[in-house]
Amino acid sequence: MDKKKRKIGIIVFACIAVCLMIGTIIVKSPGHHDSIGELMRDAVLHETNKVSLFGLMDVNPGLISAFTVTGIFLVLALIVRIFVIPRFKLIPGKLQLLLETAVGFFDNLAKSNSPHRNKFLGAYIFTAGAYIFVGTILELFGIQAITTQGTPISLPAPLADINGAVMMGCLSYLVILSGGIAENKLRGVGKTLKEFSLPISMSFRLFGALLSGALVTELVYHYIALSYGLPIIVGVLFTLLHALIQAYVLTMLTALFYGEVSEPAHKKK
Amino acid sequence: MPLNIDWQQILLHLFNFVILFAVLYFLLYKPVKQFMDERTEYYKNLDDEAKANLAESEKVKAEYTERLSQSEAEIAKSKEIARKELAMSIDAQKKQAENEAAKIIADARITAQREREKILKEAQGEIADMVTTATEKIVLGSGADAFDQFFAVAQRGESDE
Repeated sequence: MDKKKRKIGIIVFACIAVCLMIGTIIVKSPGHHDSIGELMRDAVLHETNKVSLFGLMDVNPGLISAFTVTGIFLVLALIVRIFVIPRFKLIPGKLQLLLETAVGFFDNLAKSNSPHRNKFLGAYIFTAGAYIFVGTILELFGIQAITTQGTPISLPAPLADINGAVMMGCLSYLVILSGGIAENKLRGVGKTLKEFSLPISMSFRLFGALLSGALVTELVYHYIALSYGLPIIVGVLFTLLHALIQAYVLTMLTALFYGEVSEPAHKKK
Repeated sequence: MPLNIDWQQILLHLFNFVILFAVLYFLLYKPVKQFMDERTEYYKNLDDEAKANLAESEKVKAEYTERLSQSEAEIAKSKEIARKELAMSIDAQKKQAENEAAKIIADARITAQREREKILKEAQGEIADMVTTATEKIVLGSGADAFDQFFAVAQRGESDE
């Protein structure tokens, strides 16, 4: 009986897969008028596919993604604050353990890299890490937006937009600078300015990593032949991996440099 | 701008991130961290209390051990004193018994001496009476041999002593 059911299930699954495959070949996507080169150029430069921000101005889709991420966080954080945190127990449950692990991880990262001054740093890298991770994961859900030209577009990671990446890199540099000033005054400014390439390297590392993910995914989905099976690895595993890696790299670098510039100067004997 | 960098959009991203920071800090990071710190403090207090109790127990144990060792020394000292007192008491009683025995012996000797003297005195009286009686008998019974019988009785009396 079980074997019979299993056979029927496999046959139904295979039929659905074949039908979908035939359907994708017969039905042509209306959005793929552009060549792959033009698509990639637009993914990097955002010259054509703009999205209207409440009718006020045309912005890159990455900014809409950024607002979406903040909206998701706002709702989730409110729910957690109202319904979950007041019910925290000394011996944590699964959700409490997840939250405590996330907060504890960034708090420990801040404390281990910057033992002298880490309260603000912990909060900052927690936010940055969560933003990068969730923002990158957002790609997977393929949330649709309508461009100013009337075509649908799947929302990319916020940091795949050069403006978002520049903001993140420069803000991280300013946070590092603030740590230096708070602890060592002018000496801290000097220490931070020595690493003048940091905002550029952090910005473009983020931009490059997240954009490359988006470009590879775009490339894979552009060709029908590559659209079967491969997206499981490229679309899901790679996205998850580089979400984790980029969140860790930026937060770790920020904590490391913050700790370096906020280290109290040793008095000469 | 190269790469279509747009400062207005950078500021919008920044504005978005600042809002996100405020939301995550006040709604998530701060309360969770506060709870974790309170729990750490709670367990630290428990640990400190346990350590303090342990230290107190160790102190009490050390006090009792010291007291016990002091008590053992005191017991040994008391035993020694009692042993000495007992020995002294035995000696005193022994001496007293010897004295009493000596006194009893001396008294017995005196009493025996007195008895002897008394017996002797009584014997002498009896002998004298017997001698008198015998003399009378001899004198009154036969006149010639009376003096010889007297001497014979007198000699028998001396040999008896």
